Amino acid sequence: MSETTLTTDRRPLTFEPVRVGPGTTYLTLLRWQLAQIGGMLPLLVVVQALMAAGIIVGFGFLIPDIDAPTALFLSTGAPTVLLMTVGLVMVPQGVARARTDGTFTYMRALPVARPLVLLADLTVWMIVSVPSVAVAVLVAQLRYDLSLSLHWPLLVGASLLVVLTATSVGYAIAVTLPPMLAQLISQVLVFFVLLFSPITFPTTQLPGWFQGVHDVLPVRPAADLLRAGLASGTYDVVLRDLVVLLVWCAVGLTLSTRALVRRG
Amino acid sequence: MNQDVLTVRDLTRRFGSVTANDGVTLRVRPGEVVGLLGHNGAGKTTLVSQIVGLLKPDAGSIEVAGIDAVADPAAARRRVALQAQAQAPLDGLTPRTAIEIAGRIRGLSALRARTVAGELGEELDIGDWMDRRALPEGGGLSGGVRRITAFAMAIAAPTPLVVLDEPTNDIDASRRRRLWAAVRRLGDQGSGVLLVTHNVVEAERVVDELVVMDRGRVVAAGTPSTLRGSHDTDVRLELVLAPGTQDPSDPLDRVPLPVTRRVRAGRRVLLTLPAAQAASAVAWATGRREQGDLDSYSLAPATLEDAYLAVTETTPLAAPEPTHV
Repeated sequence: MSETTLTTDRRPLTFEPVRVGPGTTYLTLLRWQLAQIGGMLPLLVVVQALMAAGIIVGFGFLIPDIDAPTALFLSTGAPTVLLMTVGLVMVPQGVARARTDGTFTYMRALPVARPLVLLADLTVWMIVSVPSVAVAVLVAQLRYDLSLSLHWPLLVGASLLVVLTATSVGYAIAVTLPPMLAQLISQVLVFFVLLFSPITFPTTQLPGWFQGVHDVLPVRPAADLLRAGLASGTYDVVLRDLVVLLVWCAVGLTLSTRALVRRG
Repeated sequence: MNQDVLTVRDLTRRFGSVTANDGVTLRVRPGEVVGLLGHNGAGKTTLVSQIVGLLKPDAGSIEVAGIDAVADPAAARRRVALQAQAQAPLDGLTPRTAIEIAGRIRGLSALRARTVAGELGEELDIGDWMDRRALPEGGGLSGGVRRITAFAMAIAAPTPLVVLDEPTNDIDASRRRRLWAAVRRLGDQGSGVLLVTHNVVEAERVVDELVVMDRGRVVAAGTPSTLRGSHDTDVRLELVLAPGTQDPSDPLDRVPLPVTRRVRAGRRVLLTLPAAQAASAVAWATGRREQGDLDSYSLAPATLEDAYLAVTETTPLAAPEPTHV
């Protein structure tokens, strides 16, 4: 081995355990996670635009002679469909892949507080999700020439809460269930969100018992909250919806953190 | 006070009815490279997972640089760097950025992390790839460059204990040499290194101590020369049995030689004996070959691999002789 020339300092080192600040750790992890998505980000925005067009224009074909209130309802629901799709479908698939290829274990073995790994992960997914709202609104404007009345604080707050809820629930599904099962469930959830959730159609179209189910699931409350932010003159915030979302968000975060922190 | 960077005592971990670690005891001192050898499924990775706090032991204790790793895994993790067997998540990163990030996470300043990345790139001879981006599905960088980058990430910042799980997989011979030199440097600078591998030949060249695991238990431990045998002058007579014939060395008293160890692996039988007996051994083996018992035979200096096979051999024909620990 002596033939190898070493350039590195050979002095004996001291090992003072360094405690890195949570801010630095978070930003470093974020840089790492963002690099993984990196080049995919523009593509993801394009995919979201296509999905928005699919919902707003495509669903419009299902309704003959669409009137202005229906168009407004459909259009203001589209961002929720996109956010839920990213959170409940793309997140579980991404995390399930990370579990299969060893990335998840690798991150858990790092000398960092594990909740920061989750926080960095969720931040990346939020960055991926948030353009959905703008893209969906843009497509709706182009198609129906709507007159939205944006309530900015509500819109921003609702968007962040919905994204956080969807991604943390998706993350929880992916880290709690075996990877194969998580991927399968995420596929089923696409159909549930698209076709069986009162996001793009009024909840009154559903049978009474199913309306009751949607009162405690996060999808309809998320849609109504975002709707109130996009067309504040037409739709109102219902406090109960906010509570339901917060509970789901807390459950998602708790399960995800537990799975990251817990030793097997 | 306990000066060891790693002390594992009576560690037991079960998965259902399988005991993956069964009363494992080992230690790594500062400046020492300890090889952890064992076949696939011997329980090496389970042990490592407990050291870094991915798994919780059922019984026993782990101390990393004076910290109780079972009670306070987060503090222990700050004192150990792991190169896992799975590839590190590098997609979207260049080796330079990846090493910098690993250094930053362990508390290096941005400037220091950048300097270290440059130095390690040169030391490990991956300069040509340092600024090439790893792409998804294994694109951009080869498996070997990814593996050596993961190694550099593990050693970017000084830690009392470094755990390397099969670090040389996919790496070419010349960079392997660089990597082993870097492992030795870590030891010289005071880190303790636990090197997990199933490559006996490579391990022998770099380690100070060896611990051999088989089916969850430590079956041998000591320096390479203690494990190799009591005398460096021992030779190994390897017999390749002719198909369908009786093993001429079973029972052992059929062999007119002072055999100190006998291991059978399939049609191969390895006999260890003093070098002074080399001529008689050749004469005996030649005779057996003429009788048609053997396809071929060879005589060579005894190696660590023979000793390793002896302590991990499980076929009933070849009950291992007790090894001095």
